[in-house]
Amino acid sequence: MVSIKKKGKNFEVVCVLVAERSAGDIHTRMSDTVAPRSALDGGFWPEFLRGMRTSIPVMIGFIPFGLLLGRQAVQQGVSVFSVPLMTGLNYGGGSEFAAVNLWANPLPVVLIIGVTLLINCRHVLMGAALAPWLKEVPRRKALLWLFLMCDETWALSLSDTQKRQKFSVGYYFGIGWCLYGTWVGSTFLGAYLGAKIGDLTRYGFDMAFPAVFLVILRGMWKDHRMSIPWIVSLLVGVVVYRLYPGAWCVPAGTVAGALTAACIVRRVG
Amino acid sequence: MIHWDSALTILGMGITTYLTRIGGYLLLGGKSLSPRATAMMDIIPGCVLISVLAPSFASGRVTDLAGLAITVFAATRLALLPTMAIGIVSTGLLRAVFP
Repeated sequence: MVSIKKKGKNFEVVCVLVAERSAGDIHTRMSDTVAPRSALDGGFWPEFLRGMRTSIPVMIGFIPFGLLLGRQAVQQGVSVFSVPLMTGLNYGGGSEFAAVNLWANPLPVVLIIGVTLLINCRHVLMGAALAPWLKEVPRRKALLWLFLMCDETWALSLSDTQKRQKFSVGYYFGIGWCLYGTWVGSTFLGAYLGAKIGDLTRYGFDMAFPAVFLVILRGMWKDHRMSIPWIVSLLVGVVVYRLYPGAWCVPAGTVAGALTAACIVRRVG
Repeated sequence: MIHWDSALTILGMGITTYLTRIGGYLLLGGKSLSPRATAMMDIIPGCVLISVLAPSFASGRVTDLAGLAITVFAATRLALLPTMAIGIVSTGLLRAVFP
């Protein structure tokens, strides 16, 4: 009974979201997440600063999760210095939470790497969405830049790129480096302080992430063709998460939504 | 100290994740997307974000879902920072009032 109620509610939420978006002019409202006009044609550093400013709320969202991950990692037996090594080399929060939960003695090395691949395979699609905008960039540079591509950097940068029809390296780096530093720093701090800090996510800070993603989603919304794949992704993600807690819902929901998108695009032509 | 097996795991994770990051770029190379693929690429990024969000929607707690509904509502009309503030404060308050 509870689950039926909840499903209804989720669906309602999505419908409200969809209705809101189709009703209003999204592009003008998205402008409040972007810098003033004076920075529009800036060079690298003005764009870098614009990226830094944009990333501030996201950084606030990163910190409680970084602290939590660091704390959980140490409790699971990851050494204090392995934590920033992991978050600095891997730099993908979902896969790191999964890895920390699987951490044991003896260490399931192959399992952890396999789960990392499954959770992060969405990056392939993300990179593919960004690739057309990197056509003029030398290959070696582009490959280096992509190291910083996390969900938030990618989403903010892509929606900015689509809006201006131009990829801004400075903006991408401004967001990318701020978030990278915040993530590695906060996970290390969490590991270092260990149980001395409580779980901040319990006080509502975990809502920071949905807030970030929902606002970005609003900016990505173009027409109603998107609503069905998005709803499919949500429903599949929710069901998979209920059945298999952890990050499995991410690849499952993404693939389900992508397949739905493929059907819709094929039918419309 | 870092043991060899944890170093190996972390290195493996890092390489794997980096390959997923450059994978999409390498697959497409410098090629342009077909109109159909472009249409797909308009839709798929949202699917990724929504799937990442799914656990929030799957929460069994009424207070969390109410907080989420408020956040969704705020996200449809406000900028990022106020949306976030409203989401955090309302969820925190709801949890404090209805533990």
